[in-house]
Amino acid sequence: MKIYFESLAMHLKGELEYRVNFILSFLSQILVFFTYYFIIIALFTKFDHIKGFTMYEVLLCFSIIQFGFSFNEVFARGVDHFDQLIIRGDFDRLLLRPRNIILQVLCSDSDFVKTSRLIQAIIVLIVAIVNLNIKWSILKLVTLLLMLGSACVIFFGIFLAAAAYCFFTVQGLEVRNVFTDGGKHMAQYPIGVFKKGFVWFFTFIIPYAFVNYYPLLYFLGKKESVLYAFSPLLVVFYLIPCILVFYFGMKRYTSVGS
Amino acid sequence: MRAYLTYFKLKFISSLQYRTAAWAGIATQFFFGFVYIMVYVAFYESGGKNLPMELPQLVTYLWLNQSLLALVNQFSRDQELFKLIKEGGISYELTRPKNLYFMWYFKIIGQRLANVTLRFIPLVLVTSLLPDPFHFGLPASFVHFIFFILSLSLGTLLVTALSVFYPIVTLTTMSEKGIVNIIITIADILSGIVVPIPFFPKFLQIISSFLPFQYISDLPFRLYVGNVNLADGVFGMCIQLIWIIIFILIGNIMMNKNIKRVVVQGG
Repeated sequence: MKIYFESLAMHLKGELEYRVNFILSFLSQILVFFTYYFIIIALFTKFDHIKGFTMYEVLLCFSIIQFGFSFNEVFARGVDHFDQLIIRGDFDRLLLRPRNIILQVLCSDSDFVKTSRLIQAIIVLIVAIVNLNIKWSILKLVTLLLMLGSACVIFFGIFLAAAAYCFFTVQGLEVRNVFTDGGKHMAQYPIGVFKKGFVWFFTFIIPYAFVNYYPLLYFLGKKESVLYAFSPLLVVFYLIPCILVFYFGMKRYTSVGS
Repeated sequence: MRAYLTYFKLKFISSLQYRTAAWAGIATQFFFGFVYIMVYVAFYESGGKNLPMELPQLVTYLWLNQSLLALVNQFSRDQELFKLIKEGGISYELTRPKNLYFMWYFKIIGQRLANVTLRFIPLVLVTSLLPDPFHFGLPASFVHFIFFILSLSLGTLLVTALSVFYPIVTLTTMSEKGIVNIIITIADILSGIVVPIPFFPKFLQIISSFLPFQYISDLPFRLYVGNVNLADGVFGMCIQLIWIIIFILIGNIMMNKNIKRVVVQGG
């Protein structure tokens, strides 16, 4: 763990060396992120609700998903950009070191420009909650924290599985976006608003529903059962197959040379 | 003119080689089309007030958007031109006795057309076989279809005229990031690629109508589905023409100015 924080500090120092570039990229990321919630706000000027969810309820859901995604973009950049490690042949170097391989991949890169998204996600979250008129209780606070945490976990799992894809081929990498960006786009809305088959898929195959739907129902007071509040904990089990896939891919890894 | 057409042909043929990339692109765009449509379907099923488009029209619009994305998007940039500038290849370009602006213009248009040629036929074929509500529909009428083709051609000329600006700016800034990225993000929203223009809040629709971006793809797509009447279509195409002329003129002026200040990087 100490190694990870040390390398994080190192990457931060490295990025701040190019100050103007950092600030400009930071600003443009703010704008890019703005386009995301612009879509939602624009659509809600024409529609009152989406299957019973109001604008602020959707924004709450949106901010939780974006928080988890950006969190991984900042702190697990090495997993997100794993193809670079493979293509450059740097992965071979990591294999030689006597440390856990996933930890080393985590240490290999980070992207602090994306903190601009993280900060905006938190702002949207606060704005949504202030406008929602929630009847607070300790359990609801726990639910909210669990949702945020599970959002980070689920994207870490997805990124890891997508990284495993690179062990088999580095061609057609756009396909990975289907699972990361495409999934993220859908999960901005409470998964329950979609058709049955998709709800099933996003509950059991990629468990977004446990991040942004079942706990959300409890949080908004639409469901009373405590089971809903603790459902985000199930997402941890999702990490197991993702890690297994990663190690399975690594066994079949053949270096690209250089 | 023949020299420029040769540039176009060269770029077109060499870009056609990237077939694996095209298949990955098709799969991705197919999936994203689905995702976008699902969101809208959920919204439409919840009901709304004075909706600017009917659902089948909107679905067809979104599929057009996905299948022609390679042609009309703002965010893809010709990496080769940037490399030329940053690594000094620009000096060879300058020795050629031709207008550099139009050389680049035809290269970019060649690449865009090649990329879209590889992608749109499979997407259109598959999506027009899908059941409702995912069905890609036929054009509103034959005349609408002709208008669509005409304004899409003008839109292509317009988006190319915009894309040439980025390498021209890079001639002096040496980095295609920063300010260029910010402009592209704004252009992306206002071109209707993210949300179709009729779904914008009123004030943004007004601002957007004074800017060139919605005339790239929003106008042709809405002509196809019959969301714009033919008289407005003719008017829109006149605006497209005006923007094209303005941009090519400004582009040429900027090119001549920047080329005098260009610093050759490396050898």
